[in-house]
Amino acid sequence: MAKKRKHSESEAAPQKKEEVAPERPKRTLLGWKDKKDDQPKETESTPVFRNKEKVLVTCSRRINYRYRHLMLNVVDLLPHCKKDNKVESKSSKGATLNELVELKSCSSCLFFECRKGKDLYMWMAKSPSGPSVKFLVNAVHTMEELKLTGNHLKGSRPLLTFSSNFDKDPHWKLLKEMITQIFGTPKEHRKSKPYHDHVFVFSIVDDHIWFRNYQISVPHNESDKIARGGLDKMTLIEVGPRFCLNPIKIFAGSFGGPTLYENPFYISPNQIRSMQKKKKAGTFVKKVKAKTRRKMHELENPLEQDEFAEMWKE
Amino acid sequence: MAVSKKESMLVNEEELEDDSDMGDDVSESELEQESEEESEEEGDVRLAEPAQNATYNRDGLLEKLGDMSWPENAKWVDRLTLDIEQEQPVDVNDDLTRELAFYTQALNGTRMAFEKLLSMGLPFLRPEDYYAEMVKSDSHMEKVKSRLLVEKKNMEEADERRKAREAKKLSKEIQNQKLKERAKQKKESIESVKKWRKQRQQSGFAGGDKGSELDLAFEDGKPFEKSSNKRPGVAPGDRSGGKAKYAGKGKKPKKREIKDSKFGFGGRKGSRKQNVAETTNDLRGFNKEDGFSKNKKRKM
Repeated sequence: MAKKRKHSESEAAPQKKEEVAPERPKRTLLGWKDKKDDQPKETESTPVFRNKEKVLVTCSRRINYRYRHLMLNVVDLLPHCKKDNKVESKSSKGATLNELVELKSCSSCLFFECRKGKDLYMWMAKSPSGPSVKFLVNAVHTMEELKLTGNHLKGSRPLLTFSSNFDKDPHWKLLKEMITQIFGTPKEHRKSKPYHDHVFVFSIVDDHIWFRNYQISVPHNESDKIARGGLDKMTLIEVGPRFCLNPIKIFAGSFGGPTLYENPFYISPNQIRSMQKKKKAGTFVKKVKAKTRRKMHELENPLEQDEFAEMWKE
Repeated sequence: MAVSKKESMLVNEEELEDDSDMGDDVSESELEQESEEESEEEGDVRLAEPAQNATYNRDGLLEKLGDMSWPENAKWVDRLTLDIEQEQPVDVNDDLTRELAFYTQALNGTRMAFEKLLSMGLPFLRPEDYYAEMVKSDSHMEKVKSRLLVEKKNMEEADERRKAREAKKLSKEIQNQKLKERAKQKKESIESVKKWRKQRQQSGFAGGDKGSELDLAFEDGKPFEKSSNKRPGVAPGDRSGGKAKYAGKGKKPKKREIKDSKFGFGGRKGSRKQNVAETTNDLRGFNKEDGFSKNKKRKM
């Protein structure tokens, strides 16, 4: 009996709530916010630009530990990011990722895709309309490595430095814009801190984008009020992580769409490995060939009979 | 016969070996070339020539860039981006110069940013008393610190070892030099003595016969040695090494001690009772009860 009554009650309660709950206006610090006030602000002729970037960071399944740590480091560096569960790396991953990004109400996505447990690809995508880029990631060093001795505030806004060759070609320009939007922490983000104590370096060397993260350190007694002398004494200590991005393709849509750019110099790591294997397979054949050649040579040019060989024979 | 056969065989074998060596050399050099090629490819993974069919939609890229970029009224404070001129193209495979290039880029960037932020009146570095969560945990930083300390210690130790090694080398050299010098001196002195003797003989020294007796011991190059193994203050044959006289106040009764020191304890008796130069010169016990000296003193 008791059970039944409970059941009926619990069923009844939500119904009541649905009936009762009217749409409430949003609550602000100063009281209730009227909807009418909100609308004209958005339609003002020159609204103040406010960066509301949110980045979804995920990785594929079967990622290896080093790359997972790299992802976690990136999560630490970006206070405006949301980390999500691993995603199966299938051909349909683009759709699922787009859905996820929308679900999490993010505006961009960093997806770490690990293949064969050794190759790391990084997808950098603007959602829902923006372009997406696929990189091959090389030379990964995580923040946990003990030779990287720096440390900085979690959530302080980084300075983004770009080498000047980012402005050379349109695809580099596009990448620069994407990187500034994704890696730059929005101003006055609630998790960000009001000081600047680290620098990101994005530099194009050899058609790869190299990433470095340095702590800015100035001698202590001068950190309150930095004079010119303090500026000269400024040193940088590397915090990590390190990685090197090799752009493969740029797509017009997010995780798909027509290809805008294709790296003409790119060889996939699979191809490289197969070439190496082929070369290794060739060595034995070459050896056998050399041996037969040698034998033929010996047969063609036999040694002369040694005239002194019989000299001491009686 | 057999030997000659063997020799000829050996010769043949050697020749063969030489030949085969040559062959090996060739193949090895080929292999090396291959491995070099491989390493080159590993270091620089890219096609030699750009692929012909690679798409490059310049207009599409620019259009997309226009679509996605922030509106015009986004200030620098929103972006915090800085463009830094790269002075010269960097060689990728040279780690040091590459890292240096990144470092200088970051440093120049921070200087520029600092000036900009200062002109805007915005805070830059965190104050000393601002404590907040850091990217790396304290335990991790502890590890980093301990590693740095260990490295420093290792370096110091290596330095010390190196210094010790050098000092040892130097001291060895000095020792060698000293030994050489000593040997030289000795030689010189012996020669001078020989010369002197020759001169004396030539000049006709009066005691010519005696001259032969004046054989100097060090002429043979032997150093002076203690002629006997007699110990001063110890009677011959005293096996206690003269300690019996001064034996400490141990278990023995005093009378026994005195007697031991007087008559000896162990050892040969005979030689102990003999007179030696020392005992003869020792006048301690002589004329002890003589009144003469006392009288003399009194008289004085």
